[in-house]
Amino acid sequence: MEEGQEELFEQRTDLSRLNNAVEQIKATLGKIIVGQQETIDLVIAGILADGHILIEGVPGVAKTLTAKLVAKAIDAAYSRIQFTPDLMPSDILGTPVFNPKTTEFEFKHGPIFGNIILIDEINRAPAKTQSALFEVMEERQLTIDGTTYKMDEPFLVLATQNPVEQEGTYRLPEAQLDRFLFKIEVKYPTLEEEIAIISQQHQQRTAEQITHIEPVLSAQDIVALREQVRGFHVEPKILEFVAKIIIETRNNKSLFLGGSPRASLAIINAAKALAAIKGRDFITPDDVIWAAPHVLRHRIMLTPDKEMEGATPDDVINQIIHKIEIPR
Amino acid sequence: MKRLFVVLFCLFSVVIAFAQKSKKPAVLKKDSTAITVQHFNDAAIKKYAADPEFQYVEGQKAEPSWWDRFWYWFWQWLGDLLSSAGLSHPSIKYILVGLAAIGGLFLILKSAGLLKRTAKKVSLPYQESLENIHEIDFDSEIENAIALRNFRLAVRLQYLKCLKQLSDAGLINWQIDKTNTAYYYELTNPVQREAFGSITRRFEYVWYGDFPIDEHAFGNINVLFQQFKTKL
Repeated sequence: MEEGQEELFEQRTDLSRLNNAVEQIKATLGKIIVGQQETIDLVIAGILADGHILIEGVPGVAKTLTAKLVAKAIDAAYSRIQFTPDLMPSDILGTPVFNPKTTEFEFKHGPIFGNIILIDEINRAPAKTQSALFEVMEERQLTIDGTTYKMDEPFLVLATQNPVEQEGTYRLPEAQLDRFLFKIEVKYPTLEEEIAIISQQHQQRTAEQITHIEPVLSAQDIVALREQVRGFHVEPKILEFVAKIIIETRNNKSLFLGGSPRASLAIINAAKALAAIKGRDFITPDDVIWAAPHVLRHRIMLTPDKEMEGATPDDVINQIIHKIEIPR
Repeated sequence: MKRLFVVLFCLFSVVIAFAQKSKKPAVLKKDSTAITVQHFNDAAIKKYAADPEFQYVEGQKAEPSWWDRFWYWFWQWLGDLLSSAGLSHPSIKYILVGLAAIGGLFLILKSAGLLKRTAKKVSLPYQESLENIHEIDFDSEIENAIALRNFRLAVRLQYLKCLKQLSDAGLINWQIDKTNTAYYYELTNPVQREAFGSITRRFEYVWYGDFPIDEHAFGNINVLFQQFKTKL
């Protein structure tokens, strides 16, 4: 259904700035990334919902390119960390260094201190290094040697990973997965998209275009837009709908691990962001149903027998959603 | 092993032979007991013969009625028909009669209006059903909502009524897990789809968005609902 074509009611929230920003980001990314509209929508929703994003896909499907472009489209402190098996927590967070001049230890900030953090191939590092991200991803702060460092707003982690079946990868700890708002699965392009990608590369346009991307949003813009989205209206029946979905994930016989309360909050926040992208200041059941698979697929665990049967988390999430009555 | 059997056989044969030799000759004894001749009790026989329970005279066969003759003719006719068609198994004619009986019953119930399409029942796998749109008396509920000036509820009921009308018309397959967008895409007629999209947006703004609605705004929306009805 097309929305916003007619003025239905007097708008109580001015979404023009937000809609303009969304259109600008889409247009900027659309110049370079072929297809992947859902991935782009999800990344924008993640930015608006103040959530970290995990992008998973086989090598060569533009995961890192997407993340880099998003970072370039935002005028904010950006850093990139390439995760490797020998990476140590201090390589990410920073470490106290002795200053001979002052004869004191000074904290040298690691690359995690920034606004947009691109963690490439996050599942190449072992659990010890992953654990270093727990506090900073959830609480937007770091505690080292008894000193707490607050992260600047916005703080967004964009991580990419190869599927766990790939050589040299580790499964991320559940506690860390739960800290990602979305896990976006990037699929292979269609035939038409593949032709367009080859054509772009053949004309040597892509590399040139990447260097010429102008930021369309500032860090302050993002903070303001997030504040606006946070205040969107949510009907109590929709809250109940989300809660029922999460409760069902905990009771479902196909699942070994269900969704946490953080997952409930994540669905609501993601649905609000999607509503914003669609030009509404309230959420509908459609927004919840759209957000739920992306929010839940990395948070739930299938039972071993279901895994052996070849079921996927998306299959089970889909079944769960269709067991629950749409609030109307 | 064979030798063992031969030894055992010889041993037992010898023992049996000696036993027979030692048996004494039998002596025949005379039976001197007096013999009493038994006679039937005539009185008892007469008594039993007079009892109707013991009279086994077969009743005379009655003439077959027209109903019996009809069925005899029917089974003969059906048997001949099936035999000519190469279906000679005895159970086939009973199967055909059973199907005919079910068909007849169906026609009777249908003509009596007992098989009229009713509300689709919500199947059990769902967690719960808040309400079934086929069980709501929409007209009275909408009137009540308007009388109470609860226009938000009135819009909701009008929308649910539209879904029921679409379901009754066979244009959508109403299920409790389907969203408004799912119903929108189920409509194949572009005019109906556009009209449904328009009322859906208004319903969503009022119901999910909690946008304030007064009598005037409700009047405008109500016109759209009435127009939608004419497009079905």
